[in-house]
Amino acid sequence: MLVAPEVLPTYLVNTLIRAFLYAAVAITVDILWGFTGILTFGQSAFFGFGAYAAALVFTHAGFGPGLALIAFGVAIVGAMLLALLVGWFAFHPGASPLYGSVITLVLPIVVSQLLYSGGSFTGSSSGLSGFESFDLSLEAWFRIAGVFLIATTAGVWLFLRSDGGRILEAIRDNEQRCEYLGIDVSRVKILLMMACGAIASCAGFLFACVQMVVAPEYAGFAFGTELLMWVALGGRGTLIGPLIGTLLLDTSTSYLSGSLPFLWKLLSGLAFVVVIVALPQGLLPALASAIRRAWRRGAPASVAPTAEVELHSADPQPLAGLASAGRLALSVKDVHKRFGSLQVLRGIGFAVRPNELLSLIGPNGAGKTTLMRCIADGAERSSGTVRLNDHDIRHSSPAACVALGAGRKFQNANVFDSLTVAQSMRVARTRLKRPSLWRRERALALPTAALEVMRATGLDRQLHVASRDLSHGMKQALELAMVLALEPSVLLLDEPTAGLTKAERTLIGRILLDLTQSHTLCVLLVEHDLDFVHEISTRIIVLHQGQIVLDGSVEEVVNSDLVREIYAGAATPGAHG
Amino acid sequence: MSAALEVSGLTAGYGGAMVLHGLSLSVQPGEIVALLGKNGVGKSTLLKTVMGLLAARDGTVSLFGESVSRLPAYQVARRPLAYAPQEKALFQDLSVEQNLRLGLRDAGSFERRFARIADVFPVLATRLKQRAGTLSGGEQKMLLVSRALLASPKLILVDEISEGLQPSVIGRLATVLREEREQSGTAMLIVEQNVGFALTMADRYLLLKRGEIVGQGKVDSPRSADQLAAQLGV
Repeated sequence: MLVAPEVLPTYLVNTLIRAFLYAAVAITVDILWGFTGILTFGQSAFFGFGAYAAALVFTHAGFGPGLALIAFGVAIVGAMLLALLVGWFAFHPGASPLYGSVITLVLPIVVSQLLYSGGSFTGSSSGLSGFESFDLSLEAWFRIAGVFLIATTAGVWLFLRSDGGRILEAIRDNEQRCEYLGIDVSRVKILLMMACGAIASCAGFLFACVQMVVAPEYAGFAFGTELLMWVALGGRGTLIGPLIGTLLLDTSTSYLSGSLPFLWKLLSGLAFVVVIVALPQGLLPALASAIRRAWRRGAPASVAPTAEVELHSADPQPLAGLASAGRLALSVKDVHKRFGSLQVLRGIGFAVRPNELLSLIGPNGAGKTTLMRCIADGAERSSGTVRLNDHDIRHSSPAACVALGAGRKFQNANVFDSLTVAQSMRVARTRLKRPSLWRRERALALPTAALEVMRATGLDRQLHVASRDLSHGMKQALELAMVLALEPSVLLLDEPTAGLTKAERTLIGRILLDLTQSHTLCVLLVEHDLDFVHEISTRIIVLHQGQIVLDGSVEEVVNSDLVREIYAGAATPGAHG
Repeated sequence: MSAALEVSGLTAGYGGAMVLHGLSLSVQPGEIVALLGKNGVGKSTLLKTVMGLLAARDGTVSLFGESVSRLPAYQVARRPLAYAPQEKALFQDLSVEQNLRLGLRDAGSFERRFARIADVFPVLATRLKQRAGTLSGGEQKMLLVSRALLASPKLILVDEISEGLQPSVIGRLATVLREEREQSGTAMLIVEQNVGFALTMADRYLLLKRGEIVGQGKVDSPRSADQLAAQLGV
């Protein structure tokens, strides 16, 4: 790094400076696409933005230390504002992932078109050149670009392996679960877009200062796509792969495109196709696993990593973030839900006090899950009001409903496939304990109830198992533990024990009962196991064709003829399980 | 006569971690076998391996006397068998009827065959044109088992089919599966957490623990099912 610029030929030094800056941009593409799952074509626009910020200021206002600082400020702040705008368009609540990608595709096209049509101000298609810049040697620039790349890589590496970085993977795996854990996914994505935009713009700024020439192509769609190719070839989601991929490809391109102008494009295109087909993970992961295999040949299979996470119980924070708790944990008034002409809920109304364990039973298709959805997401119901802890949920997002005390477990296990059990639990604590953006903690503090569920099902002995490798029942238990980690005051459980054994059901039933009795918490439970419902409920509501047909004590409901007729059939509660 | 399903010395799992360790079992034609066991012992893994969705590390799987161990999933699925997996395996954007028709080998027989399904799950008959994704969780389960039955297979593999169903429907489901066996001699391998339900149907049960069969026995009468469930502690 220190002597390289002195011994390498000038052309190579020049090429490497550019490759270093491109690699920093490729890393931002890797963060967005590889780690967070946002396919972006638009990082070139931010690179171009930074480059033109420097070129425009230096061309039209002249060069000086103060002006350079202003240009730098414009590059960073402007890129962040642009990212904020683009991020809002791409990720506003309700936007689909495809829509987000289309927006990032349009961005470089719009930016480069603006540059083309800027006349003599932007230099149109010939760009800007001949402006003054820092009077530094090529060697000095080499070191500046190198340090910039190393600092970017190190910073991003620290962030990605930190507890905060895990949230990106959680978003890539399952946005819905993130929302229902109280994480504002749109906001996280927009902030990430802004940070990545600032890094790319900074690279662009340095690029203009070194090269003293800028052109609209640097902000264009072709460059944005090339960045994606480099990342894919190197190995997305690996950080180092895209870095090496960019350095190798950009350097070889600048050497070979001169001697083989057309053939080189064809060859690099072919190489891309071959890698995508044969090594979908990219070159670096393929190489790494080959080395690992060779290393381990003859050696016994590796043992699972030893536990690095220490579980302990957290201080309770009931109703964290809520100004006041009401007398009623939950009140539902005249709630209707229509899907087109289909009326799924018709005028549902009931209220639940803290310390109640209310079971919701009814035939399949009665609207039980729909009712749960209407309580945990303000945008779901067609009309009526829902109040959580005496706060009207209005049209709040699921994340905002979590802040009002709701915690929802889905009917089908809804977990983060690629995160381990311990990582998932930490993500679930994000709302109550802000994770560090650069550190990984060993200690994992969880509320007692979550710990008890983990112990009862044996999840505490599988902390380092990836969620996707858990059995169906264990996924259910993990999701329940994650929801309990939110310390909700209104717990919405949609068949929480499906797929669990009788013994585990009993244990979980006891935990739920204990939670409602000893904490200021109410549980709304959808269950088909009437034995289970009978054992733990304090009250039962029967839903039939979208209406409440019975609301009463356990004995009243279980022994009613109506329930036998529409729900239980000939089977008595004792025959089940 | 060869067994409907014969598994011998099967070892399979995910990545480097094996879940099944040299497992052997067989299901005779017309026999209903319940596969019981706690979470994560490999029940679903076994069904996935039989269907070719998961590659076996070792051992063989034979259907009706022919080995299918090395066949890809789509070729296994061409044998006269039906599989109702645990996690949603419906085409969410297709209608209920389209989902059902996909399970059929000859399209002409739909009306005749569906008449029987409609008796068991009347709710499906009223929703034939509705998108499968808009059905409730329990209704989707009904659709899944209906699709398996509609094809009149010689072997049915079902994974936790009672989960999320209301008690009266579970009762009817047990009846219809038993009837199917009486009428068509269909063999069934039933993975269940609801031991009571599984044993009211099964002729025989197998107990799975850490990827191996650790116990088995006959189910004499439905009355003994509850006692067995308590004994097995699952």
